[in-house]
Amino acid sequence: MTTLPARPAAPTYDTPESDNYLTHDKGILSWLLTLDHKRIGVMYTVSVLLSFLVGGIFALLVRTELLTPGRTIIDAETYNHFFTLHGAVMVFLVIIPSIPAALGNFVLPVMLGAKDVAFPRLNLFSYHLWIAGAVCTVVSLVMGSFDTGWTFYTPYSTTTTAGGVIPVIVGVFILGFSSIFTGMNFIVTVHKLRPPGMTWFRMPLFLWALYATALIQVLATPVLAITLALVAVERIANIGIFNPAMGGDPVLYQHFFWFYSHPAVYIMIVPAMGIISELIAVHSHRQIFGYRFIAFSSVAIAIFSFIVWGHHMFTSGQSSLMNTLFSAISFSVAIPSAVKIFNWICTLYKGSISLNTPMLYALAFIVLFTIGGLTGLHLATLNTDVHLHDTYFVVAHFHYVMMGSALIAMVGGLHHWWPKITGRMYNEKLGMIACTLVFIGFNVTFFTQFMLGSHGMPRRYYDYQAEFQIYHVISTIGSYIMAGGFLLTAMYLVQSLVSGKRAPANPWGGATLEWECASPPPYYNFHEAPKVGDPYDFSNLHWDERGEGYVTVKPPAAKA
Amino acid sequence: MMSTLTMLTLAQAADGPTPPTFWMPVGASAHASNVDSMMWWINLIMWVFLVLNTALTVYFVWKYRHKVGTKFRTDGPDHNGPLELAWTVGPLLICVVLFVFGFIGYLDVRTPPKESYDINVTAYKWGWQFKYPNGAQSDDLVIPAGKPVRLVMRASDVLHSCFIPAFRVKQDLVPGRYTYLWFQCDYPTGMDQPTDGHHLFCTEYCGTGHSNMNRRVFVLPQDQFDAWTTKQANWLDEIPEEELYWKAGPKLYARCVQCHSLDGTKGIGPSWKGIWERVTGGEGSNGAFADGSTYSSLIGAGKQYATAEDFIRASIYNPGEHLIQGYGNVMPTFKGQINDKGIDALIGMMKKLDEFDPKTGAWLKTLPTASAK
Repeated sequence: MTTLPARPAAPTYDTPESDNYLTHDKGILSWLLTLDHKRIGVMYTVSVLLSFLVGGIFALLVRTELLTPGRTIIDAETYNHFFTLHGAVMVFLVIIPSIPAALGNFVLPVMLGAKDVAFPRLNLFSYHLWIAGAVCTVVSLVMGSFDTGWTFYTPYSTTTTAGGVIPVIVGVFILGFSSIFTGMNFIVTVHKLRPPGMTWFRMPLFLWALYATALIQVLATPVLAITLALVAVERIANIGIFNPAMGGDPVLYQHFFWFYSHPAVYIMIVPAMGIISELIAVHSHRQIFGYRFIAFSSVAIAIFSFIVWGHHMFTSGQSSLMNTLFSAISFSVAIPSAVKIFNWICTLYKGSISLNTPMLYALAFIVLFTIGGLTGLHLATLNTDVHLHDTYFVVAHFHYVMMGSALIAMVGGLHHWWPKITGRMYNEKLGMIACTLVFIGFNVTFFTQFMLGSHGMPRRYYDYQAEFQIYHVISTIGSYIMAGGFLLTAMYLVQSLVSGKRAPANPWGGATLEWECASPPPYYNFHEAPKVGDPYDFSNLHWDERGEGYVTVKPPAAKA
Repeated sequence: MMSTLTMLTLAQAADGPTPPTFWMPVGASAHASNVDSMMWWINLIMWVFLVLNTALTVYFVWKYRHKVGTKFRTDGPDHNGPLELAWTVGPLLICVVLFVFGFIGYLDVRTPPKESYDINVTAYKWGWQFKYPNGAQSDDLVIPAGKPVRLVMRASDVLHSCFIPAFRVKQDLVPGRYTYLWFQCDYPTGMDQPTDGHHLFCTEYCGTGHSNMNRRVFVLPQDQFDAWTTKQANWLDEIPEEELYWKAGPKLYARCVQCHSLDGTKGIGPSWKGIWERVTGGEGSNGAFADGSTYSSLIGAGKQYATAEDFIRASIYNPGEHLIQGYGNVMPTFKGQINDKGIDALIGMMKKLDEFDPKTGAWLKTLPTASAK
């Protein structure tokens, strides 16, 4: 079904409809077996946010344990399980699916003016696979959990006595397929379902980012599946692949693992960059600066991501020549990242900036990603990386990129599209307060960890020297502030569902197609094929007092 | 300016280790000043861009704030060729410079001088074994001052990594291959106090005891170092046989304590409590192994191990052979690390466990039976 069904008598767009995708069908099965991309997106969002809660609780337990050297609340073995679970849940269940599968699923077809993704059944299947992967993780917990770190480095992972390694490997394997199917779906959708008039360079930048992400998902994830299958084979059948005691090579594992997991970092950050491009353009109400540079830099990052994996292995025993080459190539990722940052800042110049919650998250992203990106220079440079590798400096760096950037963008995007998804407005004031709390808490938590790391504190340590304690205490306090911010966010978002004001079709003044359908969108998204214009032309939008939202006024009217 | 900075750090280095700064710990090797000045430059770049980006962002958001209901501005440029070219080429040049200087520094870290002093390192779960050319062994690393030292490293079980923050060096230890690391430290630290010397950490996650693989690096003047290695090589030989079990026993047991308790507490490995009774056919000799055998079916005349001593020696040299039920195959071999005299000392200790403190393993000079009265 690629054509839009003709429906007579379209109601006015800026009033909430009685028949929208939320009320179209009733009953739990109408959700679990739905083929509607919007409902699948909502289910993904809820699932991802619940996983975020679980991963966050593990993070808080880990931070609390680190308040004092030696035992604070849990023993060393439990600590190892907890930091592993935090990492695995956050990477595989939260960040990788958070933007493409959760927000992307909802937004991508609407932005394209399409009725759904190209393969709705495959889309539902990938959500069911996600559930299966999550169930495997729970099974692993029941069977004794796992203490391998989210990286599953061999030969530790193939020899550890923890009982839940195999189930979680199966889980990650399944989650990989969920990710691949979403990627395939998006690639085909972007190629085939663009409406007439939407050329590649008239696509909103979020779609460019999702497209680049989908390419990485499809090309890189199979390698992870193969690698984990080999780990399972070694663990179960004692066939030596990675364990030197059986004739294998542990460094080979690291090559395999990072060949996926470095691109995976960009599966997490590239769609986040796409969201930021949307947030900054829409809330600045101005043509985005350097559209083509931003679009091509997404693709450039996707391509570079495949040839820099060796920078995770500068001290692994890999040859010095390889280290040199990987160091040189790694710097190349800095260029497109810098280009994006500068373009976003220039989009603010001479804009008409509404400072609200989504915009505040976008601004937080600019600062946090600047720090996260620039500390990448310390780690790409060979001699400084030898000192900083596997210390808290690396922990801080990837939290600035993965959490401070990817997750902050996800939360910003959630606020941006919340009125569209739920049809309700949240409390703007609480939103700004929560965002500020998260921003402050985040920096207190993780900037301290840069200093911990450069002073020599290794990562994944249960016990530590007294001289490091002050940094750990500050960091833990920061994590509690951040948790407070997220708790507040959860509260006002739930409250908005109950008693939030009804959202207009276009509360922010966005020019992309999703703001042309009602909030929440009707079952078929659009009653008639929307007219495709410039996604960043805001000149025809006018504030409508009665609806408390923006309406599009056709150019002849605007002249008057 | 780069040379001024390098000279500045070198000038400090001539007097002694560089003191800790806001970002870096004490620096005590030839590499340290190199790494620190690189850090200084990258930090400078970071602060410049961070301040620039943040200031511009905040200023624009304030300056171009929008009042609801007013018209949107349309005069903002949507691209600017020269500007975009500038911020593509500019960062590229910075990156090239960083790469080149990082590479030059790295070559020094990776290229040991020909006449370096070699120390063999074995990392295991969860400790370090340092072996010196004259046969001396130690759990902490002791090095001569003013001489390039090369560590020839291997791991006996899983990945480990040797990190000495004060020297700014790090290298993984990989089972099944040798890796190496070199450094030179010109400043003796002494080794009278446990707090003397520098940290040595394991930085590759290796399980429960990962964070307890921290040791010290003591730097001694050449003459003291030579005296120490000589004494260290012979310490076991100098102990008379009759004093062996209480003098050498606890010292060797220090390597076992992380997994084996003396008081019956279940650890990574089985407790030593009652071990001599078990292996000599007394209480607990029917204890089950993972392969179904028991102590009494393994030990005795005509069985796999003729004597209890044979069994214990085999368990230390080849720990995976017979696993006691409920314990994993995690103990590394101590073959080549504890010689026969050392094994004698440990067996002697096991025979008279009631003479040792059940918590610390220290020898109680007055027997517990005497104090119990």
